Amino acid sequence: MSERVFSVILLPTSDCNVACDYCFEHKEPHRLSPALLPLLTKRLLDHLENEDIEECEIYWQGGEAMVMGPAWFENAGEVMNRAAAQRGRQFVHYLQTNLIGYSQAWNGVIHKMFDGSLGTSMDYPNLYRKLFKGGAAAYTELWTRKLREAKAAGIGVGVIAVLHQGSLEAGPERFYRYFTGDLGLTDFQVNTPFPGGPAKEVEGGFQLDSSELADFMVGLFDIWMAEGYSSGVSVGPFDALIDHFTGKQARLPCIWKENCSNQFISVDAKGTVAQCDCWVTSYPEYFFGNIFQDADLTRMLKTSRARRDFVERPKRLVEDEDCLSCRYLSICHGGCPVRTYSALGTMMAKDPYCEVYKAVFACAETHAREILRARAAPIVAPRQRHEVVLNHGPRQTERTASGS
Amino acid sequence: MRVSEEAYPSLRIMPSALAETQEELPFVVIVRNRAEFFRWLRKPPRALRWLQVEGMLADSEAWAEAAHNASHVPLDVMLFDPASEFSDLYRLVDVCAAREVRVTVPAAPGLAKVVRLAAALRLPIRVLPGQPAAEALEELHDALEFYLHEPMVETPVEFFHSLLAAMSGGDANSLWMILEEDAEAFQLFDADGQPRLPRAADSDKVMTASAAFVETHLNRLIAEGAECATCPWQQQCRGYFKWPDPLYSCEGIKQLFSSIQVAGNEIRKELADIATADAESISSPGGDAI
Repeated sequence: MSERVFSVILLPTSDCNVACDYCFEHKEPHRLSPALLPLLTKRLLDHLENEDIEECEIYWQGGEAMVMGPAWFENAGEVMNRAAAQRGRQFVHYLQTNLIGYSQAWNGVIHKMFDGSLGTSMDYPNLYRKLFKGGAAAYTELWTRKLREAKAAGIGVGVIAVLHQGSLEAGPERFYRYFTGDLGLTDFQVNTPFPGGPAKEVEGGFQLDSSELADFMVGLFDIWMAEGYSSGVSVGPFDALIDHFTGKQARLPCIWKENCSNQFISVDAKGTVAQCDCWVTSYPEYFFGNIFQDADLTRMLKTSRARRDFVERPKRLVEDEDCLSCRYLSICHGGCPVRTYSALGTMMAKDPYCEVYKAVFACAETHAREILRARAAPIVAPRQRHEVVLNHGPRQTERTASGS
Repeated sequence: MRVSEEAYPSLRIMPSALAETQEELPFVVIVRNRAEFFRWLRKPPRALRWLQVEGMLADSEAWAEAAHNASHVPLDVMLFDPASEFSDLYRLVDVCAAREVRVTVPAAPGLAKVVRLAAALRLPIRVLPGQPAAEALEELHDALEFYLHEPMVETPVEFFHSLLAAMSGGDANSLWMILEEDAEAFQLFDADGQPRLPRAADSDKVMTASAAFVETHLNRLIAEGAECATCPWQQQCRGYFKWPDPLYSCEGIKQLFSSIQVAGNEIRKELADIATADAESISSPGGDAI
């Protein structure tokens, strides 16, 4: 069986319990019916069989996933896992939630179905994540309380932070201290923003100056390397980049995959299939089909005209853009289609954050080189190491020729 | 048609129709269309070593099958027009997760693009230099520069890789062998079941039938006073660039070899320095190694 892993970003509802300013999703009250779950599961398993894939990662998102309630998830997990086991396949479940609906009642299913961990989101400073009543400050207060309760229940929590103009103004140091110090987190990830869906006024705050954003990201990278890297703090995507540049197996984020169309899809509560949650919630012109109406998901993906653009995009970028001459092509491949589409109205162009990514890659490369140098240095006391340098000159630890 | 049963200890490389009659001896099948490709992919005999896939890079159906088919037959994907085909390498991304894939490309315009993209996709590459014209030679130099000095390259680019290894103190093989064109080890058959050398014209059939071709060819070149006689890289090249045209000028090729030699010398020196430093740190009296 192929070692490939297929991922599905599954939105059991588009409904949400908060009112974030920048949300690009259409908040429909539609919910995935338990009666349709076996059919959804069958379609996914058929696809795994057709593709000779053993494992499928399910990323439960929304809307807000917790709107469905813990009992719904307990049933969903059992139905899906039982069906998978009968066909020699496996689902691995992950939960992404805003945590606002979290209570002790979730602990059982989180430990059982999600291996005791979940992902959530918070920005610094929080200006745009808001409750229906009470605004951003009330949101932050409630979210922080829920975070502490979840951690106290032994749940591992990873946090995604979307950067905005306020983050850049606060600066990387204050930003880092908020997540590691104020919140006591050891695992968080920074995402670049993009104006998904129909344009709204507030999205002006999410059109960041590339140069300022690059400076912020590099500054944050440096702080993490100085303070967090060796003490168990994980900051994505920097940690994956360090793994990559130090020769370890790295799981880079989806925005930098060779071709995201080969790796995952998103399905919403109505059965709509699209490339990822951003597409399924925002851009009907790029829907691939409907998993409940089309009997064969494999065929849908193979024949969808909308999907062909995703498949062809990396090919077009190396033909038309300057990606081929970029030394970071192997870890970027032109970046994220949705970030490109939402900014430029076409996905057949490289990611508008190109210069930001390059700055981050260069920073990662520099830090990784230092890590490798330290590893390559002879295991002697400092005085003796100094003598070696004096005797032989600075040692070239970078490869003169690669692959050798 | 069946390949002659006379003893060829080499790996046999043959067109699909001819391969149908193969049984015990290891062989490679050249496939040129979807039907041939799927036939060998779906029911690979034990003696099949890999498939040489020609002219199919744009066929996304073929690659979808190669990505999902349960067999693990390795693929050598050959490009003929690098300038127009290079971006299609993205079609191989999923295939690489299912089986080993190598890209073979002639020294022709677009070569440097293929090398860059294949390296970015972590695909091993075999560059078949042949007797490159000026433009292709320039691209070979670009590709070599990229291979030697771009730290993001993780996979081997042959023939650079094996030559560099040899010039850095590793095992030496002839270019013919590195490029799998030495008939002593890799015997290519045409559609009529006749053995022949790669790049050989029909009129060359008789002389290419010999497994000792490389030795005979080199000896003839030296006897005829070709520049091979005094070439410092004769042992590695063995007259590769004087075939099929013995009058081909190797001036540009020698520069290529020279660049590899310089890099090989650097690596050799660095390795020696490291060994010396390590020896000193171990033998240093009172050294406080930790």
